[in-house]
Amino acid sequence: MGDITKIDANLAAVNQIISAGGDTVKRCYQCATCSSVCPLAPDEAPFPRKQMLLAQWGFKEKLLSDPSIWLCHQCGDCTKYCPRNARPGDVLASLRLQATRELVPFKFMHTLYNNLWGLPILILIALAIILPIMFLTFQGVPSLSDPTSFPYSPVHYKIGFMDLPARVLMNDLIFLPLSVFIIAIMANAVSRMWNSYLETYKIPQAYRIGYIDVIKTYLIPALKEILAHSRFEKCGANSWRANPHKMLLFGFIILFIVTGTVFFLADILGMHTPWNPITHPVKWLGYIGGLLLLYGVIGLITGRNQAVLENSLRTTYSDAFLLWLIFVVGITGFLIPLSRIFTFYYNYVGYIYLAHIIAVFLLFLSVLYSKFSHLVLRTTAVIFDLYYKDVLKKL
Amino acid sequence: MFKKPILVVGGGISGITAAIEAAEMEADVILVESSPTLGGRVAQLKHYFPKLCPPTCGLEINYKRMKARGNLEIYTMADVLEVSGSAGHFKVKVRIRPRYVNDNCTACGECEKVCEGERFSDFDFGLKKTKAIYLPYPMAFPTKYVLDKSALAPGDLDRIMAACKYNAIEPDMKEEIKEFEVGAIIWATGWKLYDATKLDNLGFGRFTNVVTNMQVERMASPWGPTNGKVIRPSDGVQPNKVAFVQCAGSRDENHLPYCSYICCLATLKHTLYLAEQNPDTESLVFYIDIRTPGRYEKFLRRAQSEAKINFIKGKVAKIEEDPDTKDLIVTAEDTISGKRVSERVNMVVLAMGMQPSMAGISIPGVSIDEYGFVRETEGIIPVGCAKKPLDVMTSNETATGAVIKALQCVK
Repeated sequence: MGDITKIDANLAAVNQIISAGGDTVKRCYQCATCSSVCPLAPDEAPFPRKQMLLAQWGFKEKLLSDPSIWLCHQCGDCTKYCPRNARPGDVLASLRLQATRELVPFKFMHTLYNNLWGLPILILIALAIILPIMFLTFQGVPSLSDPTSFPYSPVHYKIGFMDLPARVLMNDLIFLPLSVFIIAIMANAVSRMWNSYLETYKIPQAYRIGYIDVIKTYLIPALKEILAHSRFEKCGANSWRANPHKMLLFGFIILFIVTGTVFFLADILGMHTPWNPITHPVKWLGYIGGLLLLYGVIGLITGRNQAVLENSLRTTYSDAFLLWLIFVVGITGFLIPLSRIFTFYYNYVGYIYLAHIIAVFLLFLSVLYSKFSHLVLRTTAVIFDLYYKDVLKKL
Repeated sequence: MFKKPILVVGGGISGITAAIEAAEMEADVILVESSPTLGGRVAQLKHYFPKLCPPTCGLEINYKRMKARGNLEIYTMADVLEVSGSAGHFKVKVRIRPRYVNDNCTACGECEKVCEGERFSDFDFGLKKTKAIYLPYPMAFPTKYVLDKSALAPGDLDRIMAACKYNAIEPDMKEEIKEFEVGAIIWATGWKLYDATKLDNLGFGRFTNVVTNMQVERMASPWGPTNGKVIRPSDGVQPNKVAFVQCAGSRDENHLPYCSYICCLATLKHTLYLAEQNPDTESLVFYIDIRTPGRYEKFLRRAQSEAKINFIKGKVAKIEEDPDTKDLIVTAEDTISGKRVSERVNMVVLAMGMQPSMAGISIPGVSIDEYGFVRETEGIIPVGCAKKPLDVMTSNETATGAVIKALQCVK
């Protein structure tokens, strides 16, 4: 007799996958219809049939070190043609959530982000960070029903050459450290993910290249692909998703540029907000970004509802949470400047401002703990895919 | 000896077997069949399991046994409309559609020669046309022509009537409703092929050279539409490389959620037909699991040794056509290697699943399950593929067993 390797199923991991929206995984009987119909799966390493089998056994490490789960855009073609109604598209969404959970520290945050009961706790956590900074920068407890107390308090800070109003300093103190925290954790996650991919695909040492080279060679092509949504647009069953998702992404990019411009013009050059909501060009750019964001997110919400009716997609709490969070960010973001045109609710702008900050805070942090992680992790997988194809050519 | 007759619904191999067994036990038997001839699916095959006999072999002896029984009444083109009453005392309403040809017909074939109108032959799954007046197949029982009035060309009727020396054509024949009082009903309505056009990713109906397993049987049959040659419908050329798509419609919750039992063996049989035609023909069998129930494992070994078969474990989910050559490109994941393969083949055979003939039909007094299989109720005994997917041998076993149950209801 040769060596016998006993393989045990990891039942805890199976249960996690099942509870995170992958409850149909065990129905799969490995016919491989899914891998044939998938418009995105590469011939050399087709998915999701293999991932379904790994998930049935709970082989977490193998799944985490597999870029395939991120190359899936949940078109739903596999789910539509699956003869067992095992919903591979939805199972892969669950696997992505599991991968995110494993890669990012402070797992309890992941739990809070992906369960309805966690939402009030998340809001309390956001408040626990926002309020002390607010009280500090506004020099006491401002009145939310008085716009001249909050957010448009006359308190100013002179730091070096900069002259910052209280709300700007507050936002800087909240979001700059938060961004650093998110970037540090994500950088670590990406590095772990990349190294596990190298091992999985047994990339020879000679072909392994440094991060700088990876970024130099593959980041731009990957971003081009992502901006064009060239993979997403190959989807069959849920092709409606590509366009709103693209608009949403463009909205985010424009708003990111607007935020950077505001930071530069206001914080560095001292051209302080509030700017004229009708005549200022940066405001208009912001409106365009906001409109694209709302158009995209509403398109995704309504499209999803339709797809659920057609049974090609399922909406879990994690899916709905992110969409509605973006929706709240968009709506509150519009209500703040519009309050100076439609003055009837101007007195309540303090509440809206606070709600907006809470929503943006949760959205930033959701890059670590919700399906929003795909912003970074799917991008990483796409970069790896391009890199791996090049390595295959050389081998 | 018996108080009431036994009704057998369906004149395929199961129904024929049940009717003969009951009649030979001296019970009065009424056999109703909805098509113009007995024989059912077996009559359409080149060879049937378990011993790969030609259908003439099994059917002919049974027809002979039937002719010898005076206590067996046979009605073709007859549909059961309603069943009422209970075991021992059923009343069954049956509609008999007009054949427009009476018992004088000797099947001389003179009418066919002068007829110009044509119709697609459902017996040949659309692979051939017959004349508007036709004999369902050479061994049809009863051996009588049938007239499809809707297919007649102008002037056909006069020509046909003039050609018939036996006064057998009766264009004014009317539909008849009969009511039978019977003690037990053996339900043997069999199966139909699942509609292949519903598998939109497999291209049946769009790509000429994608055919069904039953079309292969008709082509391979010596008196079939291609005189026994399995050919590509696009150009009539014998294929060198054929892909078989197993579980086409079966084991699929979007179509037939159950295993159809016979398709794996049918495919193995078809690889033998191809090998017989040309030993170099390559058969690619794309499968999820090859199922050879009971002792049929031996048949798998035989096909493997006699035909050039390449088994690929992975279901075909995409078929494309090369518009120039009409070849087909079949895509599946080979799950053994974990790679996606695309194979160019001359012809694709869909190993279509079987759907009970009763699917989508509701007859008062007859209970069917969600798929259309007939449930056994007291005095109504389903047999063969009306009961569940089966091969010929097992169908006949269910038929024989059902006769005992039926006899108990009429004793």
